[in-house]
Amino acid sequence: MLSRLLRRFTGQKPSKDAAKKRLQFSLIYDKLEVNDTTLTDLQNDIVSVISNYFEIDKDSFELKVKRDDNVSALVFNTPILHVKRKKCLTKSVL
Amino acid sequence: MEGKVIVITSGKGGVGKTTATSSIGAALALEGKRVAIVDMDIGLRNLDVVMGLENRIVFNIVDVVQGKCKISQAAIRDRRIENLFLIPASQSDNKDVLTTSGVERVAKQLRKEFDYVIMDSPAGIEKGFENSIVGANEALVICTPDVSAVRDADRVIGLLYSRSLTPKLIVNRIEPARVERGEMLSHEDVLDVLSIDLAGLVPMDEHVLISSNTGTPLVLQNDSKAGQAFKRIARRLNGEADLPIEAPNHKTSMWNKISKTFGFKK
Repeated sequence: MLSRLLRRFTGQKPSKDAAKKRLQFSLIYDKLEVNDTTLTDLQNDIVSVISNYFEIDKDSFELKVKRDDNVSALVFNTPILHVKRKKCLTKSVL
Repeated sequence: MEGKVIVITSGKGGVGKTTATSSIGAALALEGKRVAIVDMDIGLRNLDVVMGLENRIVFNIVDVVQGKCKISQAAIRDRRIENLFLIPASQSDNKDVLTTSGVERVAKQLRKEFDYVIMDSPAGIEKGFENSIVGANEALVICTPDVSAVRDADRVIGLLYSRSLTPKLIVNRIEPARVERGEMLSHEDVLDVLSIDLAGLVPMDEHVLISSNTGTPLVLQNDSKAGQAFKRIARRLNGEADLPIEAPNHKTSMWNKISKTFGFKK
């Protein structure tokens, strides 16, 4: 009871909220932990799709799983050398 | 009609798998069903002592799978609860003595002889886990409301899904007072995180340790809250799917009521 009153005055959040939040992120992160072959396959697929529209520098692209406080995102970065069709972008983020 | 094979698993050890298995098995037998509990934790058997049957072991599940004895020779009959049988694990062998095909074959035989076959899976997700789920048609995942148990439960749920099993969850060792204080994840929190159907909620209960000390079935103790919760889980499994799931609650004291009324909630 005292701890709850103290928490109320200090504005501290119950520890279970932290537990829930941490769990939710770690579970998402666990599932994004994919093996290298899957990642390579995914990269190749993305490259082949993008290559239909843009000429990209295949040696300097990068694919990674990014984890911020609130979201996890799959980030694909690649410099575009030429535009094959009418569309103008210097950097594409998927 | 063929019986059901239910696997009880958790990923993490020490969350109450063995207690759950013995209690749910015993409760199903009390409902009048013929039940076989199989200890799949090869090399680390424990169900026999928890159930108080350790002095009566002659054969074990490894002997059955290897064809050294019949099912009826390995199944120990519980003398207190009619129609309850235990097939113990072997204690000396390592986990590699069982093959998945062998276990699957025996599970099929067991289904013909029993209404319910409850597989107590070992902790972990290695071969012993694979062996215990290979013959199952239903799965129960058990976890406690702490970060490590919930994370492991999620992993196991994923593995069960990939084997076309849709598990249900038992949240064990809930301490309502701590949930109320915000010190413990509530079952709603756990369900939010895991997004899975619930099989039942079991409160923390001192009777569990005491009944395992003496090897007596928890479900025979009417004053055991955990025992009663396992009984309700068994009834839900046994056709009463709509039996409401009660969240464990703790008694609200006079002081709590007063303080809540006046807004300075305890």
